[in-house]
Amino acid sequence: MRIREHKKPFGFEKPSRPHGKIIIIDERCKGCGFCVEYCPQDVLELSERFNKKGYHPPEAVNDHACVNCGFCRMICPEFAIYTVEDEPVIG
Amino acid sequence: MKDDGKKKRIGVFVCHCGVNIAGVVDVEKVAELLKDYPGVEFSTDYVYMCSEPGQQLVLDKIKEDKLDSVIIAACSPTLHEKTFQSAAELAGLNPHQVEIANIREQDSWVHPDRDKATVKAVKIVKSMVEKAIQNEDLEPIKVGVFKKALVIGGGVTGLQAAMDIADQGYEVIVVEKEPSVGGKMIQLSETFPTLDCSQCILTPKMVEVTRHPKIKLMTYSEVESISGFVGNFKVRIKKKPRFVDEDKCKLCNECADVCPQIVPDEYNMGLSFRKAIYMPFPQAVPGTYTLDMESCLGTLPIRCGKCKDVCDAQAIDYDMKEEIIEEEVGAVVVATGYDLYDMKALGEYGGENYEDVLNGLEFERILSASGPTGGKVQRPSDGKVPKNVVFIQCAGSRDPENHNSYCSKICCMYTAKHAMLYKHRVHDGNAIVFYIDVRTGGKNFDEFYQRATDDESILYLRGKVSKIFKEGNKMIVWGVDTLTGQKVEVEADMVVLAMAMTKADGVPELMKKLKISIDGNGWLAEAHPKLRPVESLNQGFYLAGAALGPKDIPEAVAQASAAAAKVGALFAKDELMHAPTIVPVIEELCSGCGICVSMCPYGARTLNAVRKVIEVNEVLCEGCGACAAACPAGAAQQLNQSDSQIFSMVKAILRG
Repeated sequence: MRIREHKKPFGFEKPSRPHGKIIIIDERCKGCGFCVEYCPQDVLELSERFNKKGYHPPEAVNDHACVNCGFCRMICPEFAIYTVEDEPVIG
Repeated sequence: MKDDGKKKRIGVFVCHCGVNIAGVVDVEKVAELLKDYPGVEFSTDYVYMCSEPGQQLVLDKIKEDKLDSVIIAACSPTLHEKTFQSAAELAGLNPHQVEIANIREQDSWVHPDRDKATVKAVKIVKSMVEKAIQNEDLEPIKVGVFKKALVIGGGVTGLQAAMDIADQGYEVIVVEKEPSVGGKMIQLSETFPTLDCSQCILTPKMVEVTRHPKIKLMTYSEVESISGFVGNFKVRIKKKPRFVDEDKCKLCNECADVCPQIVPDEYNMGLSFRKAIYMPFPQAVPGTYTLDMESCLGTLPIRCGKCKDVCDAQAIDYDMKEEIIEEEVGAVVVATGYDLYDMKALGEYGGENYEDVLNGLEFERILSASGPTGGKVQRPSDGKVPKNVVFIQCAGSRDPENHNSYCSKICCMYTAKHAMLYKHRVHDGNAIVFYIDVRTGGKNFDEFYQRATDDESILYLRGKVSKIFKEGNKMIVWGVDTLTGQKVEVEADMVVLAMAMTKADGVPELMKKLKISIDGNGWLAEAHPKLRPVESLNQGFYLAGAALGPKDIPEAVAQASAAAAKVGALFAKDELMHAPTIVPVIEELCSGCGICVSMCPYGARTLNAVRKVIEVNEVLCEGCGACAAACPAGAAQQLNQSDSQIFSMVKAILRG
């Protein structure tokens, strides 16, 4: 049975969840786009700018949605991206 | 034919069925006219053939006149073919020598003209005589019984059926698609008319089922397919991966604490949140966490692994795969339950856009002590205690133009319960119920309703609500009081809809696989609405609970016990008799084209590629005749329903 989603039942927000701060080391990136592809929360996109090697490194376009899962860190072949635990957030 | 050269001695018995037949058809004339028909030895009429003396008449005449075939001209064979077959058997006649000429449903009930109806009755009876002339004695096909039952659905109905079958000493497998058994009943707060807590009465049953040595519980599993026939079914069950080892899980909740994925909680009808790894509710059976892969960030090829990192019991295994488990069973109880009608369909009540317009199950969760508010009545939009609550009955029911035409049966009672429980919790609150009729048929039901109106001062207004809309933080309800003829406008803090019950998700697809017929509303169709209420026309399948149509808990439980008794009766036999009216192959005529293989709905026919002929599995064949109609060579001839018999019947009718 389909369940209706109540956005703020009884005035309460969703419970807080982990949040990660995304750190991108631009100069290591070779623009493969794996992190963009594998991020389950669609946080990342390849940026317009170039790094010294001439690649487009990723940027966080939806920083709030990051849950600190570390998929980007695990998939990056160049060790160019990682997340660090931040204050938990809501929503 | 076997009876070559030997003339048959046929008896014709014409039933009056009171005035049902005799009121239109001149039955005496029918019996008289048949006396001289070739092959007929004896012909008579009687007022009620199915009565004890009526049957005795058939029995005596078979012996007396040495009849070797009888025609009963009466009602539909679905009603009394078995009755007369057993009577004939007592007289030593092969039951397949009994034919029913249906002159009631196909004649007297549908024709007003006495003369024409009489002529038609004569034609029908003559055609059956022609058929009987070529009928052969047939012996039933014997098959063994696998004394193990499958119960589909782990709600209160499924659990009761499983317990009752297991207590008779037979093994049972219960298949439930959700992570825990309990069904809809476990979501209810209190039950009418006794107001006892639903969980308090259901959880002991759930635990009992897990502990029963004869019951195997398979949750988070679905029936993939069932093949075979009564007594000998092969079931394929898809066991979805839970990613948590049920035996190792210690229910510490540490996995859920660290899980970053938050989704609406189904158990609380979306009124609270759960994590991707969760236990549906504290009393869940089996008591284990489940990782819902649809909500999880994913495990392939990389995974966040937070839940596994904190699990001291090492119960989490991301490599669990979907399993297909094969089981052999002799009978199947289908207890697939119901769902609530989709609120989105009720546009006049805001679809589901108003947070404070709730359906019945959502309100049950708000009332429940284990619910999101701990039993305190609060409205979802802002958490305030609602002082004016409007309850609307028949939301989506009894509305053939727009929604469902049927009555959902339980809503009158549960609305009275909802209003009563609301008043118990909010003493200064007002409860107004809009109703079309109040239907309280049931033990202590009307007393309960009277208590709601008299003692609890709940205001009942007879009329429908035309519209609900929001103004500020109030819900404005426009309705009409049809007893005074006045329009009514109520400013409500919260509105509760008594939503219609409807077929459960996925049931039509599952029933297609099980070959169980469903009616126009999607409810399962019983073999006979009065006399065989828990059986399916597909032998070996028994039906119970709200899957058959709206019903309350006691009725569902009664049906579960009834279905279990039927399974017990089936398992009490060591051998089953399969109807011998099958369609064998005349090998000389068969070219092995395989058309019949594709026509057979039971998988009874296979092509022998070496010999280029069709082979028939006698016990799988239900004698539907699809292959006989399709065979281009006439090699598929149904026993006692051959082409030659059908042609003689047609000729007899055309001759008049």
